[in-house]
Amino acid sequence: MTQPTHHPSDETLFDFARGALTPGRSLVLRAHLGVCPGCRASVRLAEAVGGALMGELAPAEMARDALDQALARIERPPAPVAVPTVRANGNWIRVPTDVLIAAERRRRWAAPGVWVAPVTRDRRTGERCYLLGVGRGIAVPKHTHKGVEMICVLTGAYDDRGEMHHPGDFAENGEAVEHKPRVTMDGECVCLIAADNALVARDLLGWIMQPLVRI
Amino acid sequence: MNAIVFDAGRFRHAGRAPQPGPVRRVSEPAVTPQGFADMIRAIALRGDRGAFAALFGHFAPRVKSYMLRLGAEPLLAEELAQETLLAVWRKAAAFDPAKAAASTWIFTIARNLRIDAARRSRRAEPLDDPSDAAEAEQTPDEALVTAQSETRVRQAMLTLPIEQAEVVRLSFFSDKPHSEIAEELKLPLGTVKSRLRLAMRRLRDLLGDLA
Repeated sequence: MTQPTHHPSDETLFDFARGALTPGRSLVLRAHLGVCPGCRASVRLAEAVGGALMGELAPAEMARDALDQALARIERPPAPVAVPTVRANGNWIRVPTDVLIAAERRRRWAAPGVWVAPVTRDRRTGERCYLLGVGRGIAVPKHTHKGVEMICVLTGAYDDRGEMHHPGDFAENGEAVEHKPRVTMDGECVCLIAADNALVARDLLGWIMQPLVRI
Repeated sequence: MNAIVFDAGRFRHAGRAPQPGPVRRVSEPAVTPQGFADMIRAIALRGDRGAFAALFGHFAPRVKSYMLRLGAEPLLAEELAQETLLAVWRKAAAFDPAKAAASTWIFTIARNLRIDAARRSRRAEPLDDPSDAAEAEQTPDEALVTAQSETRVRQAMLTLPIEQAEVVRLSFFSDKPHSEIAEELKLPLGTVKSRLRLAMRRLRDLLGDLA
């Protein structure tokens, strides 16, 4: 696979490293990191800064028996973690398991040629993360966003204001962005998207609004 | 270029739960970063409890300090420090010193446990380990960056202009969005973002091309 050409901003990579991205946006970023060595290197660099800064903090006092407790706990085997088995989708870039589970279990048609599958919902911020599959040649109605939308292409391609977005490409669309991305004629395009709210449609109300509101 | 010493007090937030004491002056730790990496290897190879005790003694109080900084209650901070070091024991075999310094690796474990704890407390949807999707094979480029020892990173941080270092530091000890950090610093949001960008660029320049 060719390397992505559209990348997250440094601030976004930095936010991921410091643990400040909302859950859905983390998922979308991880999809991109999975195929982008350059951005992975930037994240590791920022994490190294985090490690160095943590190392410089004045140590907090631990409970007197903290080490004894820890030594006792390492004797006990960890509780087994149930790992759901889902087959990777060979046509997609590699994605976290949660995304595959969502695609398998929560996918539903939203409009002719368009499906959605909710992945996560953050109760604190109202952020939603979902998969959006759009058939070949279909344009998403013109819309803006609430908050910054983060999006990563998993398969297929779309054209947004003259820029092509291919698998692994990442986009951050702020509230000022009003666009009408169109899927290329090559085939279906599936994207992983996180935003604070459903799309704000500027025309064709109801094309996809209603299903998204229920995510 | 302003060199900076990470002294403390002005980064504290009023009205926050117990704050750890001032940040120490940058200095060489008693154990070298390489020493910590060897200890993790000793745990992986032969379940070395002595090495674990030494790692615990150094890192657990600092992880706790990090958790307190981010607003965790003292009991939770203590538990998360415990869990972080337990994870070090259990995942020791997965530690790759060519990819990350010991302090970097332990920081990411602590960060992820903190995120998980925050999500549990607000009953968000469960998520799997944030590292799994990013563990594709390493390219030479990446190895260069990640092979940086903690010492080099510290030295690079010292060369950042003071206002950039301030924003970087404040961000790491907060999970607030940049807009709130900007408010605290009484700066426009764009200024905070550009300082972060400049800091990242400078660190990349300094650390990205060293072997």
